Amino acid sequence: MTLTQRIVLEHLDRVAEDVLSLTLRGAHGPLARWKPGAHIDLSLPNWLTRQYSLCGDPADREHYRIAVRHERLSRGGSDYIHRYLKAGRELDISLPRNNFPLVPAREYLFLAGGIGITAVVPMLRAAHERGTPARLVYVGRSTATMPFVEQLRSSYGDSVTIVDTEREQRPDLGLLSAGLGPSAVVYCCGPASMIAAAESVFDPGQLHTERFRPARRTFAPNTAFTAVCARSGREVQVPADESLLDALNHAGLPVPSGCREGVCGSCVLTVLEGEPEHRDEIGADRSQVAACVSRSRSPRLVLDL
Amino acid sequence: MVANKIIDHVDEYVRLFIAHAPFLAMATADAHGRADCSPRGDYPGFVKVLDEYTLAIPDRPGNKIADSFRNLAENDGVGLLFLIPGLRETLRVNGRGYATDEPEVLARMQTEASEPELAIVVEVAEAYFHCGRALVRSRLWDPASQALAQELPPAGEIAAAQLKVDINPELLGQSLEEAYRKLY
Repeated sequence: MTLTQRIVLEHLDRVAEDVLSLTLRGAHGPLARWKPGAHIDLSLPNWLTRQYSLCGDPADREHYRIAVRHERLSRGGSDYIHRYLKAGRELDISLPRNNFPLVPAREYLFLAGGIGITAVVPMLRAAHERGTPARLVYVGRSTATMPFVEQLRSSYGDSVTIVDTEREQRPDLGLLSAGLGPSAVVYCCGPASMIAAAESVFDPGQLHTERFRPARRTFAPNTAFTAVCARSGREVQVPADESLLDALNHAGLPVPSGCREGVCGSCVLTVLEGEPEHRDEIGADRSQVAACVSRSRSPRLVLDL
Repeated sequence: MVANKIIDHVDEYVRLFIAHAPFLAMATADAHGRADCSPRGDYPGFVKVLDEYTLAIPDRPGNKIADSFRNLAENDGVGLLFLIPGLRETLRVNGRGYATDEPEVLARMQTEASEPELAIVVEVAEAYFHCGRALVRSRLWDPASQALAQELPPAGEIAAAQLKVDINPELLGQSLEEAYRKLY
């Protein structure tokens, strides 16, 4: 079952070059609660669904806020939002999902690249509210293209470092790492190059990442398997050239989906038996499978469906 | 919308129409003028406006785009008719077309983690809105009109008859349905 929320686009504001901030108001009252790191799926009139991190205040139950960069090579999501969405428009969004939760820690380092700042803004606020030491290093092509720079500077002062790569060197992650205490936790949200750089410096146990798009990886050839739906007892054959998501949907078992590339988590199902072969970007564990990209190592995968 | 107001580029209304059109018919012809028209469809806005004089149409399985590519290689004239469900007016765009595998064009056409291998670039010479009388007369968007589809035999039966081979029409129909499941 897909649970959606109806929203009204209250206003759209240009917050940086090529970046619009969208304020969404619940059409039928308060919106679902969320925590820093959460994102929503936004369903557009052109049938596309796109994921955006919530960058507003979780205490505001009446509104969500997202920020959208007009991508130069837009496939039709950000281009549509920038050109055609107007205030007053009603749209459907998903309930918030969180693949990037803020774990308790004694110290935080936040690394944000470009529009990746959206996921980080509520995290930084939460860390400051808890009184936890937190630094933000926010990297962008030029300050004109970087949303929230002034707001971050005025709220958090010296704990925020803005790096304009047109004028400055990229931050030395090794140096940042050396300055962290042993129990510090690092959050990185940005382009693939930034995440790769962070992964080469920080310990996997302390680093949490969120990508805009899946990393390019290669997998073993697909094999066919059987999906067993425990609740109905139905067995669905998943051929090598079809995704688990498509096979289930074609068999009349509706599974919601969003990005269809293993990033958003809309189609994650619970695995009761069998060994999933994870190909997602959200770090699904043994008991989960992202039906859009992941497959099965065992001949049968028993799902709570 | 004013009929027969021909412009030579993609203005804001042409762009708006293309951004909401999930379907178009594309006409090309070979060097001898033998003409061909084929359907293209995907999510609204699947045709990308590269700039105010240039469009790009992705290749997708089942588009039988090879005919268009062969024609365009001999004769670059191309005519497009865009439709938006529910809208009576249509958009016509005429110009010159060629095939491309430019990565920045194909990247904009990625769906479900797969990119088309080729696209047709159309250099716009004429763009105009066509008045809706044909669609009004044809009752094209009237839901009741869909009853017409019931008057034809199943597609598998037609294909089996036209192929003149001894094949079970139901099996042929099933394999057609199978193919319809793989859209990209």
